[in-house]
Amino acid sequence: MPASLCILFKHLSYTVSRRCLIHPSPSPLTLFLTSHKARDCSPWDPRSITAKLSTSSSTPTNTESLTSPFLSVHIRCPKDAADMLSEALLCFGASSTSMDEEDAFENSDKIFINTIFPEGEDVNMCISHASNSIGMKEIPDYEVKMDEQHEWIKKTQESFHPVEVTEGIWIVPEWRTPPNIQATNIILNPGLAFGTGEHPTTKMCLLLLHSIIKGGELVLDYGTGSGVLAIAALKFGAASSVGIDIDPLAITSARQNAALNNMTPDKMQLHLVSGESCPPLMDAKTCGVVEEQKSNGMGVISGREKYDVVIANILLNPLLDLADDIISHAKHGAIIGLSGILSQQLPYIVERYSPSLEGISVSEMDGWVCVSGRKTRNLADC
Amino acid sequence: MSTLKEILTRRPVAATIRLTVPAGGARPAPPVGPALGQYRLNLMAFCKDFNARTQKYKPDTPMAVTITAFKDNTFEFIVKSPSVTWYIKKAAGVESGSSRPGHEVASTITLQHVYEIAKDRVGELG
Repeated sequence: MPASLCILFKHLSYTVSRRCLIHPSPSPLTLFLTSHKARDCSPWDPRSITAKLSTSSSTPTNTESLTSPFLSVHIRCPKDAADMLSEALLCFGASSTSMDEEDAFENSDKIFINTIFPEGEDVNMCISHASNSIGMKEIPDYEVKMDEQHEWIKKTQESFHPVEVTEGIWIVPEWRTPPNIQATNIILNPGLAFGTGEHPTTKMCLLLLHSIIKGGELVLDYGTGSGVLAIAALKFGAASSVGIDIDPLAITSARQNAALNNMTPDKMQLHLVSGESCPPLMDAKTCGVVEEQKSNGMGVISGREKYDVVIANILLNPLLDLADDIISHAKHGAIIGLSGILSQQLPYIVERYSPSLEGISVSEMDGWVCVSGRKTRNLADC
Repeated sequence: MSTLKEILTRRPVAATIRLTVPAGGARPAPPVGPALGQYRLNLMAFCKDFNARTQKYKPDTPMAVTITAFKDNTFEFIVKSPSVTWYIKKAAGVESGSSRPGHEVASTITLQHVYEIAKDRVGELG
C-alpha cells in the first residue's frame, strides 16, 4: 500500500457560531433549479423536481447528475481489511466509500463501509471483484439502502448559517432569519453553485467591493456562481450588475437569488456564456457569447470596455486563460479584482496581469489571496 | 511519529471518506455531494479547495481523494494521482480489463507506456 502522501491539506470550517432561528417555513428545502419564475416555493419533492428538470428549456443534459439516483450500500467487513477493501471498491466501480469511526467500537472486529455506487452499477459484481482482488475468501455481507437519496442535500442545507462578512454585512440563507435586520443582508439560496459567503475568497471579494464601490458603478461579476458578488455590489450602491457564467446551474441559482433580494432585471442581468474563451481581438458580439434567457427578455451583450468594476472569483487556470477577456471588459482606470487563488499560485497571476494593472494590491486570508489593481491597458495592446 | 502535543490536540475523527474526483472538476453534486454531505461537511469549501489545488493536473484526470472528517464538521484531505489501473486502461485505450483474465487479452500496452506510468507514480512510493 502506498505509504507516502502526495499533498496534505488542512481545512478549517468557516461557519460562524451564532444563535439563529430556523425559519419555520413549510418547505425549507426548496431546490433552486425548478423554473424561471421569480420565486418558486414548491414543496421539495424529488419526483416533481425530476419532472421539472426535463421540461425546463434551458437546462442542459448534465442536470441529471444533480439529483441522479445513486445506490447506497453498507458493507460489513473485518476491520483489518477495511482500508484495502475501500480502495479496491473504488477501482471496481464505487463512487465513494466512507467509514465511521464510531462503528469501530461497537462491533469487535467488523466495521461498516458505507459505499455509494452510480445507478445501474452491478453492485454484487463490484463487491465480489473487489473482495476477490484483495484476497478475501468470501464476499462480505452487504445491505442496499434505498432511502438515503436526499439526506445529504438536507444535511448540507442545515449546515448553512448566517455569516457576518464584516460589520453590518451579512449573508443569510433563505431559510434562516437575519440576526440583524438593520444590517445589509444578502439573502442566498446557495443551491449547488459556488458562493455562500463562507469561503475566504468570497469574503475577500465582498470586502474589496465594499471598499471600492462609491455609488453608480457598472459591475461585471465574471464567473458569478450563486450571484453573491453581483448582488452585494448592488447592495453597496452600484448602479447595475452583470453576472456571467459558463455553468447553467449557476445562472439559474443566481436568478433565484437576485429575486430573493428583490433585484429587478434592469439592475441585475445574468448571462450564460459559452465555455470557450473568446479570441482577444474579436468583439464580444461576434463571439457567440450570449444566450437569451426567457425571463430576462433582452439579449444584452457584456461589452468591451464597459465596466467600472470587474470581479472574477474563479480558479487559477481560467484566470490565466481568460485574462485577455477579463481585462478587456473593464474601462480604462477601472478596478479589476481576482480571487479563487491559493497563495502559492499568486506569482502566476501577478505575472500575467501586471502588464495591464497598476497599483496592484494583494489581500490574504487562510491561504487564499485576492488581487486587485487599476486597468491601464488591454493585454492585447502590451 | 506524532509528537505528544499533536496527540493531545488531535481532533476526534468522525469518518474516513474515499472517492475519485476529476481534477479541477469537483461539484457539489454526486459523487461528492452524498459522500461529504452526510457528514455535514462544507461541500462548497471542499470543491473550491480541491479544484484550486488540482489546477496543475490535466483537467478531468480522476484523482483519488481521502478525506478525514472530524466530529466538529471540519475536514482535511489528501489528493493522490490516479490509480495504476486507470493509467493502464488509458494507455491501452480500453474501458475495462478483460472479462476473463488469463484467458482473453483485452488490449496491449508498450514498454514505453509502463515506463511512463512508473515515472508518474514514483512520487507516490516510499
